[in-house]
Order: sequence, then structure tokens, then C-alpha cells
Amino acid sequence: MSTATDTRTGASASSLASSAAFRTFAVVFAIAAPIIYVTCEMRNWPLFTYHPGTNRFDWLYAAPVRDQGPAMHWYGWTANMLIGSAVLGILATFLPENITKKIPLSLTWIVPVAAMPVLIYALRFFWRWE
Amino acid sequence: MGLLPDFILDYISDTTFWTILLIVHGLLAIALLGAITHQAMSVLMPVRRVAGAAGEPGIVTRFRSVQGAGYTAAVCVLWIVVYFFGAWLYTKYRMYVRIPIEAQGFWKTQGVFDLKEHVATIGLGLLPIYWFFWKNVRDPEYDSARKWLTVVLAAMVWYNFLVGHILNNVRGFGS
Repeated sequence: MSTATDTRTGASASSLASSAAFRTFAVVFAIAAPIIYVTCEMRNWPLFTYHPGTNRFDWLYAAPVRDQGPAMHWYGWTANMLIGSAVLGILATFLPENITKKIPLSLTWIVPVAAMPVLIYALRFFWRWE
Repeated sequence: MGLLPDFILDYISDTTFWTILLIVHGLLAIALLGAITHQAMSVLMPVRRVAGAAGEPGIVTRFRSVQGAGYTAAVCVLWIVVYFFGAWLYTKYRMYVRIPIEAQGFWKTQGVFDLKEHVATIGLGLLPIYWFFWKNVRDPEYDSARKWLTVVLAAMVWYNFLVGHILNNVRGFGS
């Protein structure tokens, strides 16, 4: 007869950790974040553009300025992801619990894994041998 | 160039600042790698000890027999701090590393780095539910999702760590 060693701590759940609203928020946030990020990356929809050569910020998409270095959109995609996912997560907390409980928890790791091949494809410009 | 407050330059040079930031970023990434790897091993291969078994457990058994929940806050904080420092370094990287890499035609190197930034951002979005799952470690409803989410996050950290290491070898310190 064998016994399983319990490697879990006796962490007492804080109020946030026992909150059904936070559970819904976090589940929806985790599912929405990769979808929003991939969409923003592939469509090139940044909330803002940063120009590191001149330390200048522009709202939304801005092209590089001639002789002033590159333009960076990654920060803007990230901002869109965080804001968009937070909004969806908050809205989901207003739904009845019997609906939000039906969201499969496995989507919290399947969606980000599924996003990877899409992002690799989006970077196809770099996968060349020349 | 790169996003650097002027007052810092009263104390250290531009190069020293970015070097320190890169070293701290790397050291914290090692801590994150260790924490998430311990945790992932503890859920992938939980220790099952035969009652009354004699002998000391081996190093692998000890490595995976950690209390996974104890790493949760550290993983969340480290991910956010490493991410923040990486995002800060990126302002310098874009000008002084990426442009020479592209000029030399290291396209795949640049591609794996761009994937690194995507992976880090998507991982950031998973932290709230990761924290929630581990805070409810005694609830069997979350066991499967917690296990695979932890493994996915660990794979992300390993990828990012290795790519960061490669990038530093291509054009990091002293280049």
C-alpha cells in the first residue's frame, strides 16, 4: 500500500482567491489576452507607437520617421491586450454564475498554446535561409 | 538612446546603466526559471512515497517534491519584474542590437527574439488565473488546468531564457 505525499501547502485562500467574481475575471482575461494580442499583432493595431531614436510617443499606429530610427509597436499591442482583456473580464463578472461556470477551464492553457503557431506564422518574414 | 532618465547619467555612464539592467534582468530570469521549473516538476511528477520505505530520496525526487504552491507569488512577481526590465531594455535593443542583427542578415535570430517578446506578453496575461488556481490548490476542480497551465508557463520561461541567452551571445556584453 502506498500513500501519496501531499506536496500542497495549507494556504488559506484569501478573499480574492475565494471570490467567484475574480475567478470569472481571471478565466476570461486569460482566454481573451492571447486572442487580442494575436489580433493586434497580425493587424498591427497598437494603442500607441514609441520611437526609440527620439523618445517620442504617438497614439495608435505611426510609421517610422525618415532618419529618426525605427518605430516600436509591441508596447502598444501589449497595452491593447491588457486593457481589452481587463474590460472583457470585468464585463464577464456581470454574467450569471451558472453561465460563467460553464467556461471550460482548460481554455486558459489551450488558447495560449494555440496562439503560438499563429504567431510563428506571423513572423514568417524571418524564417528564411538567405 | 533608449529610454533612460537623465539624472541616472549623473552617477553612472550610459553603458554601465544598460549593462547593470541587463545583468539584473538575467539574474531575475534565472530565479524565475528555477521557481517555475520546480513547480512544473512537482505537478508533472508528484512524489509518491511508499510508506515505510527506507533510504534517502535522490536529487531528482527532492527536486520535484517541493510544495508547488509556495512558489506562486514569487513566480508572479518575478514574471512582472523581469518583463518590466525586459521591456525597458527593449528600447535600447531596438536601436543597438536589432539593427546590426538585421544588417548582418541574422533573420532567424531576430525571428526567435520577436517570438520571445510575444511569449512573454501572452504569459503575462495568464498570471491572474495561474495565481487563482494555485491559491485554490486544495480544490480538485482546478487540478488539471493548474497542472497544464503551470507546464505551459514553464515552457514559456525556458524558451525565453534560452533565446535571451542566444541573443546575448550574438550581440550582448562587449559588442
